[in-house]
Amino acid sequence: MSDDSEDRPGPADDGDDGPAPPADGGADDGTSPSGRLRAYALTMAKTSAGERALIALSALVLSMLVGTVIIVVGGVIATCRTPVLTLADLTLCYDPIAVYDRLFFGALGDPLSGGWSPLNPQFAVTLRETTILVFTGLSVALAFRAGIFNIGTQGQMVVGALSTALGVLWIAPALSGVGGTLVLVPVGIAIGALGGGFYGAIPGALKAYADANEVITTIMLNFVATLMVRYLVTDHFQDPTSQAVQTASLPEYAQFPAVLFDPRLDFSLLALGFAVAVVGGVYYLLEYTTFGFDLRTAGLQPAAAEYGGVDSPRTVLASLTLSGALGGVAGAVYVLMVLGKFQTGVPSYGFDGITVSILAGNNPIGAVFAALLFGVLKSGSTVVDFATDVPPQLVGVLRGLIILFVAMPEFFRLIGRRIQPEDTEPARATGASTDD
Amino acid sequence: MTDERTASGSPEASGNHWTDALSGRTIVALATVGVLGLLGVAAVVAPESTAGGLFGVIVSTSTLSATLRLSVPIVFAAVGGIFAEKSGVINIGLEGLLIISAFSAIYGADVTGSLLAGFVVGVVSATALAGLFAVVCIEFRADQIIAGLAIWLIALGLAPFLSQVVYGGPNTESVGTLGTWTVPVLAEIPLLGAFFDAAPPVYLMFLAVGGAWYTLNRTAFGRWVRAAGENPRALDTAGVDVSRVRYAAVLLSGALSGMGGAALAFNIGQFTGNGPTMVNGKGFIAIVAYLFGNYNPVGALGSTMLFAGLDAVQLRLQTQQIVGVPDSLVQTIPFVAVIVVLALVGKTRIPEAAGEHYESGEE
Repeated sequence: MSDDSEDRPGPADDGDDGPAPPADGGADDGTSPSGRLRAYALTMAKTSAGERALIALSALVLSMLVGTVIIVVGGVIATCRTPVLTLADLTLCYDPIAVYDRLFFGALGDPLSGGWSPLNPQFAVTLRETTILVFTGLSVALAFRAGIFNIGTQGQMVVGALSTALGVLWIAPALSGVGGTLVLVPVGIAIGALGGGFYGAIPGALKAYADANEVITTIMLNFVATLMVRYLVTDHFQDPTSQAVQTASLPEYAQFPAVLFDPRLDFSLLALGFAVAVVGGVYYLLEYTTFGFDLRTAGLQPAAAEYGGVDSPRTVLASLTLSGALGGVAGAVYVLMVLGKFQTGVPSYGFDGITVSILAGNNPIGAVFAALLFGVLKSGSTVVDFATDVPPQLVGVLRGLIILFVAMPEFFRLIGRRIQPEDTEPARATGASTDD
Repeated sequence: MTDERTASGSPEASGNHWTDALSGRTIVALATVGVLGLLGVAAVVAPESTAGGLFGVIVSTSTLSATLRLSVPIVFAAVGGIFAEKSGVINIGLEGLLIISAFSAIYGADVTGSLLAGFVVGVVSATALAGLFAVVCIEFRADQIIAGLAIWLIALGLAPFLSQVVYGGPNTESVGTLGTWTVPVLAEIPLLGAFFDAAPPVYLMFLAVGGAWYTLNRTAFGRWVRAAGENPRALDTAGVDVSRVRYAAVLLSGALSGMGGAALAFNIGQFTGNGPTMVNGKGFIAIVAYLFGNYNPVGALGSTMLFAGLDAVQLRLQTQQIVGVPDSLVQTIPFVAVIVVLALVGKTRIPEAAGEHYESGEE
């Protein structure tokens, strides 16, 4: 099916003469969604790190403002026994300040009150979420840099998680003790990476060789993954002693050992350290290896990449496989550190990974900070749920809002121009290239 | 499938992708007919066999009615998506529009006590969300794919959030369902009677498909929409405001998705918001349906009925143990079908300027 139209050779200098963002209607690559993505990636690449951080921060603040409106509206609609505010007939059930206080300070374990220790349980939850989000964020970011939109990190994570659980359950009886941990944890991660990589290779091959849009195929594969693992667990690997759809539990020695933190908190500093190491690895891969160069070139200038001898279908396949493998590692860590078994209903780390990546400008190092922010939001949402009546789905709304605001840098430039009107002319003409 | 000729309305359908896409479509159409034929033969030769039983399930009035019922939200979203994308705005947030209207239709019906009013509330809320998407894409030049994903994720969070606020759980209370409109005599026809004994949204769906086809191909607005997506500069030169045409098209996609979401919710009279919510990927299937239907509303209806038909058969198979395959696996059939179809269709010829921001030269 794949024909010459796949990467219709656009002008190789496309975007070079005017580093203008999507504004320039003439961009030839924009005729396909992935072409648009390339144009967007190009914009992001030409946006200075400072500007990107500013946009991310503004997006966060704006999302919280909109979130406040949603909390207040929700608080007016809701009925409760003890409203925080009563104005004539209207009762406000939710206190937005309390919500954000719980969301942020709660997630950190109340650092402003006395006797704070970094080992407190809620902070452990925050770091636990952060660890997994680093992997899903990296997964999305890596594909993004290749000009591919991997929405399937969620499915790849699910497949990786089940693979890890089954693989480790199979090997574990042969081992025990510290030696068992030393073998099982790395092997478990490798199995997860294989499973996720395989599941990422499917949309990769479909895109590379059949030209099937990866946004749709990866979303569909998420649904397929959920159903397939449910079938596999219920029909073949169900823990007979449990009501939930889950596998048997892994032995203690097959899981990430807790360091410093209480083992019951399901957080391991080793896993976080591993995540940081992988961040370094992905950064090195992208910036200092031939493969990384090919990948980035394919993402930014597909025509030039092809001209320069990059095998485009193979790069697509390799990028999505690698991206899937990172999603699979997220699943492996989720099983080996958090659950200690596989259970259906894996939380939406994959979708959060999209936000993490977009917020980080698809930069692996930025992903650590974005993952920490999202770790705080996810951990904080449980505190909010516990301490207030506000539904925890609020964080899901914030996630969408943040993506929406980050997607429209033009909005912030407009505000920027309002504040500094003297910049109007150059900003108009060259858009993103003004990095002052 | 349906006739391809009408789809060639776009002036410069470049031959290459078109023949490719056509061959993919032909393969799927032939495969569908072939499988049905084989099962039909099996049903005649060995009525007691699994294949025979399967044919009986497929060719039954109740499966056809279920197909029509399941098609409604997908077709509405697909037709809306056609308008948006034809005008140059790729609306990948259809899923979110379906979710938000499904919830607000139930809420509206619950508050007002009228299903019709609820339907209107659903349409209005989806149109409003589409309006936000339009402003973000057209005014603030956001990346359409990312903004569309954001719309989906916002709705995916907001609908269960509001359900939790109002009803104390991700599922709303039940508000009752729409009845069926039965055409006397015609409803008695074997098999095809399903077309004349259906819920009102099914009739509305056929009306929307016909209306959309007519609007796109026979009216000035339709020409503008197509021009805004194919050659915005020419439209601009002709004195038509490209942005306004795109706003209208995106808002229309919101209104149509709103009808789809409301119809979906009124099917069971309740909004369920766990996991991927009751919409469960229908908005994304709609995108594939219109790509497969080559941006032709009639083609989108045809491909939707293929997906929905598989879903209907799948649902019937779950209740009648004809094939010894576990439910979870059978449920993957529609999703796998979407992937296979997409792989066969390969690259579709999307409107020339789709995904691009258009800046009028006058500014």
